[in-house]
Amino acid sequence: MLTTRQTETLSLILNDVIPPSADGHVPGAGNAGVASFLQQATPYDPDPARVVLTVIETVLEIADDFSSQSPQDRIDVIIRVQAQHPQIFERFLRLTYMGYYSQAELRPLFGVAAEPVHPSGYPVPSESSRMMADLTAPVRARGAVYRPADG
Amino acid sequence: MVTTMKHEPVDVLIIGAGASGAAIAWSLLETRMRILCLEQGTHLPDADFPSRRPDYELARYGEFSCDPNIRQLAQDYPINVDDSCIAPVNWNGVGGSTINFLGHWPRMKPSDFRTRSLDGVAEDWPVDYATLEPFYAMNDRNTGVSGLSGNPAYPDYAPELPPIPLGQLGQTLAKGFNQLGWHWWPSDVAILSKDQDGRQKCVNAGTCDLGCAAGAKGGTNFTYWPMLERAGVELRTGSRVREILIDPATGMATGVLYHGADGQLHRQQAEMVILACNGIGTPRLLLNSDTERNPDGLANSSGMVGRNLMFHPLTGVSGVFDQPMKGHEGPMACSILSQEFYESDPSRDFVRGYGLHSGRSTTPMTFALGGYGIDRPIPWGAAHREIMDDIYPNIASLTVVAEDLPDQENRVTLDPDLTDSDGIPAPKISYRLGENTRRMLKHGEARAAEALRAAGAHTILSKNDDAVWWRAGWHQMGTCRMGNDPENSVVNGWGRSHDVKNLFIVDGSIFVTAGAVNPTSTIQALALYIGDRIKTNIATLFD
Ligand SMILES: Cc1cc2nc3c(=O)[nH]c(=O)nc-3n(C[C@H](O)[C@H](O)[C@H](O)COP(=O)(O)OP(=O)(O)OC[C@H]3O[C@@H](n4cnc5c(N)ncnc54)[C@H](O)[C@@H]3O)c2cc1C
Ligand code: SF4
Repeated sequence: MLTTRQTETLSLILNDVIPPSADGHVPGAGNAGVASFLQQATPYDPDPARVVLTVIETVLEIADDFSSQSPQDRIDVIIRVQAQHPQIFERFLRLTYMGYYSQAELRPLFGVAAEPVHPSGYPVPSESSRMMADLTAPVRARGAVYRPADG
Repeated sequence: MVTTMKHEPVDVLIIGAGASGAAIAWSLLETRMRILCLEQGTHLPDADFPSRRPDYELARYGEFSCDPNIRQLAQDYPINVDDSCIAPVNWNGVGGSTINFLGHWPRMKPSDFRTRSLDGVAEDWPVDYATLEPFYAMNDRNTGVSGLSGNPAYPDYAPELPPIPLGQLGQTLAKGFNQLGWHWWPSDVAILSKDQDGRQKCVNAGTCDLGCAAGAKGGTNFTYWPMLERAGVELRTGSRVREILIDPATGMATGVLYHGADGQLHRQQAEMVILACNGIGTPRLLLNSDTERNPDGLANSSGMVGRNLMFHPLTGVSGVFDQPMKGHEGPMACSILSQEFYESDPSRDFVRGYGLHSGRSTTPMTFALGGYGIDRPIPWGAAHREIMDDIYPNIASLTVVAEDLPDQENRVTLDPDLTDSDGIPAPKISYRLGENTRRMLKHGEARAAEALRAAGAHTILSKNDDAVWWRAGWHQMGTCRMGNDPENSVVNGWGRSHDVKNLFIVDGSIFVTAGAVNPTSTIQALALYIGDRIKTNIATLFD
């Protein structure tokens, strides 16, 4: 369980790691609720709790006033955390990306369907035989390009 | 060790229910021999495939990872990869790795079987393309293959079904190759472009590695196994073979010891044992079947069991275009394939060659985590937003798939400490990239960038900084190679062990060279060919 201060810090870190779009249309990772994914991410990391705590604690060690810092100062702090704990930070990034992009309602913002892809999938029209013939014509025109077994 | 259960002897015992085990069982059906297949994994109902879940992409990094060291399911065995730059990946269960394979289905080429004669490297195979051709065709019919006939990169043959759509991405890349005058062709795929035999055609969902819930992908769970089970082949799942048993007097295999689903150790006798455990599982089992008479492992008088491990080392290049490429729509691995640089060319600083494969189905999470087969998250912060908003939708990639040459030092051994959940020693991989492969990949990267530019990409992104893709040991070959010389090979020209006359191997471990194409159509064609030889030689099979 995280303390209130840790929870607030985590949310800020997440929003800096995946920031919202300038128009606010695409939420940042903090606002998208990635923190709750991190709590239950054991299938995807051997010890997600330690990863999250290390990142939060290191941030607060470096900047006790992290939550009141300017956005650029916060980024600088996170860069220092990354330099101090490169492996932990990479695990944190992986988990953050997983928690964010696994949210069905966010996928359409990246052009991908929200619903599970099976059974409906995507309608992709087949190329007409005319189009296929035109496209492959230059390749056919060159003739055989494989080497026979006897050289 | 206490053996608790004995079973009725069978005529044919196949170990492994994947691509090759299923194909050989089908071939032997007409002999009316009693066939039993032991498989360490289970049947996975297609209703359980993760692509029916809203958070389907997560499964790729958890219980449906292609990496057994990540999945750690009961049927998996760990693989020590500390000494390798590529991690072997698989699926253990009915269907084997065709559960999570991507269905790309190119054949090997005539020159692939003759690399010693043509290029002075590796060894020639004891079989050739012409011999295998009818078995490729037979296997294609059983599997359901889509593609376009008339590919000038091959001797003539015709896929049964029309090609799957190239889509925006494939069409764009094809135009780039045309601009350069380079070969490309719509990929042959073991994926249905039309409904067939009660299986649904592909719906372009792009989750082929998570099992195909449509049944469109030609995994043996959808193709061979339903036919085999209807025909009475016994498939005993949850059955992990520990050791092949040998009669010390005759040197012949008598059967196996296996751990059953009930947790007990079982003994199964058989007239003939066929190994189909994949390029890692098969040498592992032979090395684990050592005896006083065979201290270096079974069927290993040549010392070649486990050696000459070949993968297809990969690297990738992406291009950013002005318009969306819709890379998430369509089967993952397959749109088009260029074999312009496949054959040897004396003007290059390497022998043999590579293919340029178009990659699709870059879903947002996988892309953000570095791409399929790569573990390197993209940057965070403002750069992240920019990449996901402006680059991700407009990206198209080419994968360089290199031919790996056999090297005896690249090998599978047994780990002295690591075991699976039944206490059976686990495999350890020692694998390094050869200099020839490095040069090939470098050449391929440059050519891929050229093709992407010709196709209209305004920016080129290289994915790898000189490293090959890590979690991309999809194809495992060469570790029990075939050959005419018993001192230099494990099995003969039709898969029979030189040392143990009633022991056969049919999986990718018998490959002599790797070619630069995905191997499964060749693995299964070979298994059908070996089945045919067994039937032809039945009267003198063990002489
Ligand atoms: C993610 C991924 C993508 C791929 N994409 C492609 C592709 O696009 N095209 C292509 O051609 N190939 C592809 N491949 C490779 C393809 O899946 C393999 O080449 C093919 O399945 C190998 O067939 P096999 O019979 O040798 O082994 P498998 O199909 O792996 O089957 C081996 C079986 O043996 C069982 N087994 C092993 N040891 C034991 C034991 N001791 N006791 C009992 N059972 C045992 C295993 O559980 C397994 O089910 C891909 C593979 C992966 C993992
Ligand atoms: S893209 Fe096609 S082959 Fe791949 S999983 Fe979906 S339906 Fe199956």
